[in-house]
Amino acid sequence: MSTAASPGPPTSTSANDHPHGIAPLRAGQGHEFFWRRLHSLSGIIPVGAFLFEHILISNATAINGATAYAHQVRFLGSLPFVLGLELFGIWLPIAFHALYGFYIWYRGRANLISYPWLGNWMYSLQRWTGAIAFAYIIWHTYTMRFTGVDLHEVPGASFGKVQHELFITPLFLFYVVGLIAASWHFAYGIWLFCAKWGITVGERARQRFLYICIAFFFLLSAVGLASMAKFRSMPQQPTDPDGARQIELQTK
Amino acid sequence: MAENTVRLKIKRQDGPNAQSRWEEFEIPYKSGMNVISAMMDIAANPVTKDGKTTTPIAYDSNCLEEICGSCAMLINGKARMACSSLVKNLEQPITVEPLSKFPLVRDLAVDRNVLFENLKKVKAWVPVDGTYDLGSGPRVTPQKQEQAYPLSNCISCTICMEVCPQFNESTGFVGAATISQVALFNDHPTGAVLKEERLHALMGDGGIHECGFAQNCVESCPKGIPLTRSISRVAGQVMVQTVKDIFSR
Repeated sequence: MSTAASPGPPTSTSANDHPHGIAPLRAGQGHEFFWRRLHSLSGIIPVGAFLFEHILISNATAINGATAYAHQVRFLGSLPFVLGLELFGIWLPIAFHALYGFYIWYRGRANLISYPWLGNWMYSLQRWTGAIAFAYIIWHTYTMRFTGVDLHEVPGASFGKVQHELFITPLFLFYVVGLIAASWHFAYGIWLFCAKWGITVGERARQRFLYICIAFFFLLSAVGLASMAKFRSMPQQPTDPDGARQIELQTK
Repeated sequence: MAENTVRLKIKRQDGPNAQSRWEEFEIPYKSGMNVISAMMDIAANPVTKDGKTTTPIAYDSNCLEEICGSCAMLINGKARMACSSLVKNLEQPITVEPLSKFPLVRDLAVDRNVLFENLKKVKAWVPVDGTYDLGSGPRVTPQKQEQAYPLSNCISCTICMEVCPQFNESTGFVGAATISQVALFNDHPTGAVLKEERLHALMGDGGIHECGFAQNCVESCPKGIPLTRSISRVAGQVMVQTVKDIFSR
């Protein structure tokens, strides 16, 4: 019946069917503001701060060799309340940031095909790099923290355990992709944070800060890649308890 | 394509619940022709390319000089003002569709009331109504005027909302235009009396936090309004207000 093409004012019943469209602002309602801002903040502290430490400090220690790396792992494992630090400083914040991030992604309507502008590309890229980084992090945490040699018990086995994975080329490539995705997501995330929290207000300030964030992305990626290159350039180090003890007892 | 004709492909829909269809037109080119004036010529002789008589196209327009904000539509797939879309600059056939994110009224006319509702929610005005003469307002320095003028250029065309990936049914995001008006009226010495109320309104669901900083708004604004600057500034004001609320409420 509705297919009858009769132009004219809608009847009284179809006026009620009038699509409501997008809802106006719900002033004074809801808690999305809190969760969105917490999501934004959690990407910097603690998740970003952890990534900074993980790539630029702990992993970079591998460049100084297996013994230095073992000592760094032993230091981290000996921190007080280490399980609490891992749970509340790393795992739960990453889980929240990632899962709420997927929720944000799900509620957006990307329109790159109609509007292929740089900022719009970055909007979509931020979602894709987040997803890649999250997939990598789940696998990486599972293999490094929850399976195989427990590195909290045997820090000396750390170098060999990482090498074991990096010598497998597909896994090595997964590491590279995961590193670059996480580095970009964090670097551009800092830029987004400063724009969205009213820190870089002006167009030129945002433009300049973008260059700084891109430089930071290259720094993170380069140090991460240099660490990986070190792991791959050394002969396979032992992961058995006796060999691990030997590595740990050596002086730097 | 004959050199002196214009081909248009226009999406038609007789009402909110009717089926949409495409109609093609070929009309003589006139110097300085824009999409609205082309549709005026079609209305004078509403016959499609195939010789079929049809109805004139329904659309909103008024000033024809990009100042009333009425004639935003999708032209060759992108949201822009039809009056300032010169035919000679467009690839043919020129496809014309209604904005996709607003309830359709008929053909190219859509109901953009949501922007008006949003402006009311954030009290986008200077409160001067009273039962007695309030006297002259405080002076606005030339520096403040220069900052305010670009923001006052908003024509409520809703293009910034149409192109925004975050403006959709799921988020109900308020959109860049409203946030920029908050920046404008918060800066005004008399308008600032409602600043807190505006910032609190923007903390509600669909508020400023839904911005994903894709920056399509500032790319597409026909008036060149610094919308991302407004969003960033107001977002900062909202965060300062949040901290104030935590310690003083």
